[in-house]
Amino acid sequence: MAEFMTVGRSDDIGEGEAKAFPVGGNEIAVSRVGGTLYAFSDICTHRACNLSMGGEIDATSITCECHGSMFDMVTGEVLEGPATEAIATFPVRDEGGELQVEV
Amino acid sequence: MAEGRTFVVVGASLTGASAVATLRSEGFDGRIVLIGAEEHPPYERPPLSKEYLRGGETAEKILVRPAAWYAEHDVDTRFGTLVTQLDAHGRSVVLAGGERLRFDALLVATGGRNRRIDAPGAELAGVFDLRGMDDADAIRTAVGGGARVVCVGMGFIGAEVAASLRMMGCDVTVVEIFETALYRVLGGEIGRVLEAVHRDQGVTMHFNDVVARFEGDGRLERVVTSGGTAIDADVAIVGIGTSPAVELMAGTGLDRPDGIPVGLTLETSIPGVFAAGDVARHDHPVFGPLRVEHFDNALKMGETAARNMLGAGEVFDDPHWFWSDQYDMQIQMAGYAPTWERMVVRGSLEERSFCAFLLDGAGVLRSAVSIAWPRDVRRSFDLIRRAIRPDADALADPDVDLRTLVPDEGR
Repeated sequence: MAEFMTVGRSDDIGEGEAKAFPVGGNEIAVSRVGGTLYAFSDICTHRACNLSMGGEIDATSITCECHGSMFDMVTGEVLEGPATEAIATFPVRDEGGELQVEV
Repeated sequence: MAEGRTFVVVGASLTGASAVATLRSEGFDGRIVLIGAEEHPPYERPPLSKEYLRGGETAEKILVRPAAWYAEHDVDTRFGTLVTQLDAHGRSVVLAGGERLRFDALLVATGGRNRRIDAPGAELAGVFDLRGMDDADAIRTAVGGGARVVCVGMGFIGAEVAASLRMMGCDVTVVEIFETALYRVLGGEIGRVLEAVHRDQGVTMHFNDVVARFEGDGRLERVVTSGGTAIDADVAIVGIGTSPAVELMAGTGLDRPDGIPVGLTLETSIPGVFAAGDVARHDHPVFGPLRVEHFDNALKMGETAARNMLGAGEVFDDPHWFWSDQYDMQIQMAGYAPTWERMVVRGSLEERSFCAFLLDGAGVLRSAVSIAWPRDVRRSFDLIRRAIRPDADALADPDVDLRTLVPDEGR
């Protein structure tokens, strides 16, 4: 049964930024755009680069710095190749300043 | 009822795979035939000089799409098959073996082939070049744990192979015709930064020199340069550029040595016949006619060509972008600047962490090159695509977001 786990402080993540947290053996990125939090697998499905390391956020998309794959942070789907597989996405919430991801 | 149209794609490459996937995702439900000379389903070539060469990635991992994808999407594949003739009037291609395939639209994505070195002894065992997965496998086997290797040419392939072989424990010497590493694309100033990186990693480099001959008794033993240097070697890897594989266009007048000419929408002068990827010399709205050999271009041209085979009429105005990984360092480049008047640097060449902006005589940003400097090359895309003349001080200031330098009107 999935449950919300605290991964860090909500104020760790500034507006327009993404940061990765280790959660149960996975690397999960959390980003904040327009005040809304998004959580998704930090590992690009193309060549396993970390999306949070240099990934460019534009509205709800993030573009991998390595080879240009673009993902939708809401649905995880590929918006631009070379990746062909979606990334996993996760529910995320700010619980009294604690950043919580449901895995 | 299916549309009843047949689209043929020659070249089971990244471009070809990208095109067929786009045709299906755009809803084309006619027949698609994807034909390739290699036995493998389309795969990504960049890892061949990097992770795949070093044994860090499997063949399956570098496939553009899983092998089963094509059948699942009703794509008729002919791998290991040569196309011997294009019959432009008969709207058909002829395959080795004689089969004739009629097409309603054709995409030629035959890529390039490596230039051969014109030097005695080039046929000796131990002399390789790198184009396909099979070449990478053969090189990996030949270098074993630590061969003495000569890389002939220090363009991107030579530099990446040199880096990978050093990481694999080989003794690496480079012979390069120009004055420094990657000179033709990056120029002397940036080239020398990369030269220093390779020197620090233990690569020996001979510049302004070429191979005079390969020596050995049946198998390579020594590489001798025109400058008179003799280098004992077990393996040589030749990376001196490619030429576009245009033979299919024989008889059409489009089999040009600098690539198949295509217009803004990637269509040739033969209606319904398109070319994309390394083989295409396309008319770029900002750069003019050019042919590039970049991964990202292959992918995006395949997508655009597919949409235009369906009648979209889309202009291909991609700013052209590529990367190169050498050791733990990533190089990126966008745009096209065969020459430039001024280079503005953000960051530091000495510290090997920078983005360099190449401006033409009118101050237009033509290209951006970075080493270990994330984001700014991609952030320069709109500036390049729209031929903007950015303020040099703003370019040099790391605190200025390049995206704010794009004028708002017309976006």
